[in-house]
Formats: sequence, C-alpha cells, structure tokens
Amino acid sequence: MAGNKPRGSSFSRNFSATSNTISQIPGLKHGPNGTMFLSSGIPDLDKILGGGFTLGSLVMVMEDPEAPHHMLLIRNFMSQGLVHKQPLLYASPAKDPRGFLGTLPSPMFSKDEKSRDRDAEQEKGLRIAWQYKKYFGEQNSELLRDGKSEYCNDFDLRKPLERHFYSGQQTDCISLQDSADLTTFHDRCSSFLSQTPRNDRNITCAGRIAIQSLSAPQCDFSDKECDMLSFIRSLKSTIRSSNAVAVITFPPSLVSPAFSKRLQHLADTLVSVKAIPDEDKELAKLLTGYQDMVGLLSVHKVARINTQVPTILEATTFSMKLRKRRSLILECLNQAPVDGSTGSSYASSSSCSGSSKTGAIDF
Amino acid sequence: MAERICRALRDGALEGEHAPALTIKDSIQSPFGSLVFNHVLSQLSSFIVAQKSQSQGIVLVAFSRGPLYYEELFKSKGNDVASSNKWIRVLDCCTDPLGWRSKLMESGRIANLTLGTSTTASLYKNVKDLDKLLLAITELGKELVGDGKGRFVVAIDSVSEMLRHTSISSVAGLLSNLRSHDQVSCLFWLLHSDIHETKAIAALEYLSSMQVSAEPITRPVNGQRGNSVKLPFLEQNLRGGKIHVRFKRRNGRVRLMSEEFCIEQSGIKFTPISSEAEMIAQSLVPKVQFNLQLSEKERNDRAKVVLPFEHQGNGKTIQIYDGRKSLNEDKPEMQYTSAEKVQTVKDSGRGEIIYFRDSDDEMPDSDEDPDDDLDI
Repeated sequence: MAGNKPRGSSFSRNFSATSNTISQIPGLKHGPNGTMFLSSGIPDLDKILGGGFTLGSLVMVMEDPEAPHHMLLIRNFMSQGLVHKQPLLYASPAKDPRGFLGTLPSPMFSKDEKSRDRDAEQEKGLRIAWQYKKYFGEQNSELLRDGKSEYCNDFDLRKPLERHFYSGQQTDCISLQDSADLTTFHDRCSSFLSQTPRNDRNITCAGRIAIQSLSAPQCDFSDKECDMLSFIRSLKSTIRSSNAVAVITFPPSLVSPAFSKRLQHLADTLVSVKAIPDEDKELAKLLTGYQDMVGLLSVHKVARINTQVPTILEATTFSMKLRKRRSLILECLNQAPVDGSTGSSYASSSSCSGSSKTGAIDF
Repeated sequence: MAERICRALRDGALEGEHAPALTIKDSIQSPFGSLVFNHVLSQLSSFIVAQKSQSQGIVLVAFSRGPLYYEELFKSKGNDVASSNKWIRVLDCCTDPLGWRSKLMESGRIANLTLGTSTTASLYKNVKDLDKLLLAITELGKELVGDGKGRFVVAIDSVSEMLRHTSISSVAGLLSNLRSHDQVSCLFWLLHSDIHETKAIAALEYLSSMQVSAEPITRPVNGQRGNSVKLPFLEQNLRGGKIHVRFKRRNGRVRLMSEEFCIEQSGIKFTPISSEAEMIAQSLVPKVQFNLQLSEKERNDRAKVVLPFEHQGNGKTIQIYDGRKSLNEDKPEMQYTSAEKVQTVKDSGRGEIIYFRDSDDEMPDSDEDPDDDLDI
C-alpha cells in the first residue's frame, strides 16, 4: 500500500496554467479530489494526515488537562503560518494573548538538520523495481527544496520566532475572557475570513485561525454550551467557503460528555493528546523509547472533503518526542510483546517493526 | 515528598511562565486539608523569612479562618510575630465577607466592634466582586514586595468558601489571572472536594499544576454496614491518612506520588508509605496479543502433544486413505468382500496406493482432502 500518500484514482485533475501560480505560493499544495493543503508545521503530522490540513476544514484538538501538549501543536501551526506570511487570528482565554506570540518557535533551516540528507543517501543504495520508480520520483522532488519556500518547516522550540514575523497587520489576537458571549468573537472571525474568500479566481493566500482552549473555565460563556455549539457550527460553514483552516483546542474533561461528542462530530480532522505518567516502570517495559517520550497523540478523524472515501490510517496512536529537545517528532509506538489477556485496545493497531519514522517509501 | 511540593512552590515560576499552583483537596472521610494547608503555609513562611525562596512575602486570603487564627499559628511555629508585617499580609474575608456587619454598625443596630487589630490584616467586604478582590490582592502584594522585580505568594484559605458566593468561571478567572501575574511567584488553595460539582473540581484541577488530595488509609468495604464495622476505620482515619500527589512536570509528564501522614499535637507529620504500593496499571497503549514465554504447565503440555503423523505405527497397520469415504464403517466388510483389492494392497505391503476414482468427469483432486491423512 502506498503508505500515507493519497490513493490515486483513475482520474487525475488536469492542472493547467493555474497550477503554476499555485506552486509558486509558498505553503500551499494540491491535494486529492480538488482540495488544497496547508502545512500543520509538524512534518510528521503532515505525512500522517496525507499532506497537511485541508483548506476549508476545521481541526479540533482534544486536550489533556494534565499536559500542555496541545500548545505544541498550536505553536507549530501558528509559526508555520507566520513564516509563510499567511494572515493569522489567534484567540485564547488569557488577558494578554499577544504575549503568547513571543513563545512561538523559529524555523530551523536545512543546514541545521542532517536527517533529510541521511534519508536521501539511504535511498541511493536501494534498487527500486521499475514500476515503483514513479512514486520515488515524487518523493524526491519534495525533499529538494530551499529553506524559504519549503512547504513545511521544522521548528526549533527553543528559539523564539523573530519579531518581524508577527508584528505586521496580518496577525490578530483576541482574548476570550473579555467577551461575555461569543457574538463579538464570531464577528471578528467572520471579518477575518472574508479576507480569504473562496471563488473561481486564483487563490492568493490562505488564512489560519487558532483558538486555544475554547471552553476554558475562566471564560464566562464556558457553561453556555448551546452558544458555543452554534458558534462552532457557523464558523465551520464560513470556513468551508473560504480558503482558511481553523484549529480549535478544547478540554473534553471540563465539558459535558454530550457537548464533547458534538464537538468531535463537528470536526473535520480530530486529534487528541494525552499525558504519560513519569517514571512508570510498567510503561517503560512496554514501550521502547519511553525515556524520550513526552506524550501520546492520537488521530481519530482525517478530513475528507469532496469525497466519500474515508482515510484509514495504519496506526492511530503516535508518541510525541522532542528530538534534541528542539523539534517535535511523532513516531509509531514500538511495543514489546506482552501477555494480552486483558484490556481493551486503545487504538486499532500499532506497528511492530523497528524504529521507524513514517519512511520515505511505503509500499 | 510533601517537602518536594514545598520546594517546588518555593522555587516559584520561571520567566514568562505561569506560576505553579497547588490544589489541596480533602473530603469528609479525611478532613485534614486545613492541616496540610497550615503545614505548607508555615514551610513557605520559614523559607521566606530565611530568604531562601523566590518570593519575599505572602498574601493570605483568609475566607474560613480569621487573621487571629493565623497569628496564633505563626506564633506556635516559632515565627516572630512582631516582624511578620514585613513578609505577610492577610486579606480578611472571614469577619465580614458581604459587608453586613458594617452596614448594621452604621445603622446603629449593633455596638461598635473592636477587633483584635493586627497590622497585617485588612478587612475586605465584597467577596462577590472578584475583580475587586483581585485588585486588593495585587495591591497588598505590591505593598509587601514593592513594584519592581519582587514576587509574592498567594494563599487562599478556602476556595470552597469563594465558590459559595460566586460562580466557578469567575473563580477560575481570578486564579488564572493570578497565575499569569508577573509578580506572583506561586499560589495554593484549599478545596473540600465533596461539596462541589465535579465540573467545578475538574476546572480547578485544570488550572493547577500540582494536586494533593488527603485520603483515608483504609476505605470501608461497601458491603459492610453497621457501626460495629465502621468504628475502627473511623478511628484510624481520624489519626492519619494518605496523601496522593499529582505533579504536572514541565516536560508534560505527570508524576504520581503517595505518602502517609499522621496527626500529632504539633500538627501534621509526613512519612513515606509503609504498606505495599498499589500500582494501578493504566492501559494507555494497545495490548498486543503476543506471548512469547511459556509457563511451566504449557511447556509440559507441549511435550505431551503427539504430532499427527506420529499417531500411526502404534501397532496398527498404516492406512492411507484412498478416496473412499466409507472407510471406517465398512472396515469389517472390507476384509471379506473386496478381498481382491485388499489383497493387492496387502501384498505390496507398503507404499502402493491404488486409487479408484468415482467418475472420470470430476476435476482431479476434488474428492481428496489432504487433511484426511492426519490421524487426529
């Protein structure tokens, strides 16, 4: 199976003159079924989702109250947008959300990383059967790129983003604590999305909305679940008709189960993060690489727009690690075989192969 | 390990980070939360007096016990009360939380009350307005440590009392604003978990980076009823208990720890856990159905299994199935009736298979079942 590549159909879109302009816009690329992707800021997550976040989709992240991993996802998402000069709207329950922009990570440039070079070298030793060479060619073209025009950057979490990226007019921050209800916020979102409408003309740029901890307890509207639901529903419909992606995180443990389920169903792409206990001997025996792990990430749903075919992933649970404490990588779980007589499985399957990032070639 | 918590609070917040926040929870089965609170408070005050901590003062928001109680507490711990106005301020929300007393005094209904004045306490009369409360706390803190880089600790005597007067979202707003305030080094509060909704408790746990819950040592088994069984438990639980600590570390992992405590005259005393640790194996990862080890019984059973091809040759003649299905039933008949055929088989002894097909139209090998060779 061609791993995480979108499964090609018998029909392929005829990319005519318009395709040149698309490939010139940094940060966007074509996806299957006439959709377009923008990057999540985490290269491994882009591979898992089949290219990135689909334009016009709503991404929901379920938080774990005991760990701040959703912040890693939001940070990378926002940084990627700023690096690609895409307009950004950020909302959080803090009184001063602008301060958060100072904690965004800065992109690492290709001279810093050796891993991509290593991959390319490994592939030179492989003898590819002739019928698979066409897939190999596509992969190669993705690897050869310069720093600036990369679709997805690797971010260094220790280095803060330079000020000039977010001091422009295109970055807007809203505090969710200010408003007693969501109407003003909703208006701000609508006006933001009107900057990037979807129409038949060529698209110029894509927008990003990042909402952190939507139902945090300090917001006054956090117990008005109907209001929050109608807000999200109208946001989703507005987003569908614009060239933007919204990432919303919410803590499912703080809301009623019915509301949490409704939000999960509203999402196009659903991801959850989970904390892991520290110095747990059981887990250390169970998982290799436990020492480096900071948390677990599960992908529950992947956006499929313009198609009825669902994406079925090989593995749904991934471990989050910080490579050299700098950049976030996601790996399949590697488990030691154990007596599986009890317990329901948390995810449908897990890879039993040796340590693997989702490799460059997956058949 | 209670020491660990106090040290974490003492070390305070890093630049640009939220201040660490501790929730101390208790319930009716183990009502010692206030003692744990006092312990943490006195530890922190001794760190501050010795100038070993990040913060230079404590702002104590007293809802359930008045400032005089705390004066006594500090005296008994040996802290010098006279100099206490250098490092502590008490916001008295206990004496007159809603301002009723002062209204009654103004209208002359009750006589003028002379409270035991202390220089450290200031009266606060409007607990329903949490914005003003936040302002009062921060002003007191600035009074203590000055406007610059100084930091102070905020201790809230009982968030349960606050929740009586206001909603959980305003309390959560107050706590998160305190956490993100530049001059707050750490904060901790007490909560009685069994008088609130789970939603409120979940919200407060969400906001805190450390949780300590006091629990009884032994829980009475559900099936047993009647005082005769409960009394020993009650007695034991009144003398001590266990604390369970959940510590959210900076790297995103959660550390779980437990300790025992017992109540003595001088206060509370913590000892490491003596009994067997109860490990609750949480299944976070999918269970894999492989078992590569064999137990002793399984090894014996494996040795006893006779493989299918080994069955034959135990004295019986080796019979190879030759396509006729009625082998076993017609066995006695075969010896008499189809003597010619059998003879040919017998004569050759071993290794000759004579196969009579039912019909030539059939596909080859359609009536052969290779598994019929096996004598299981």
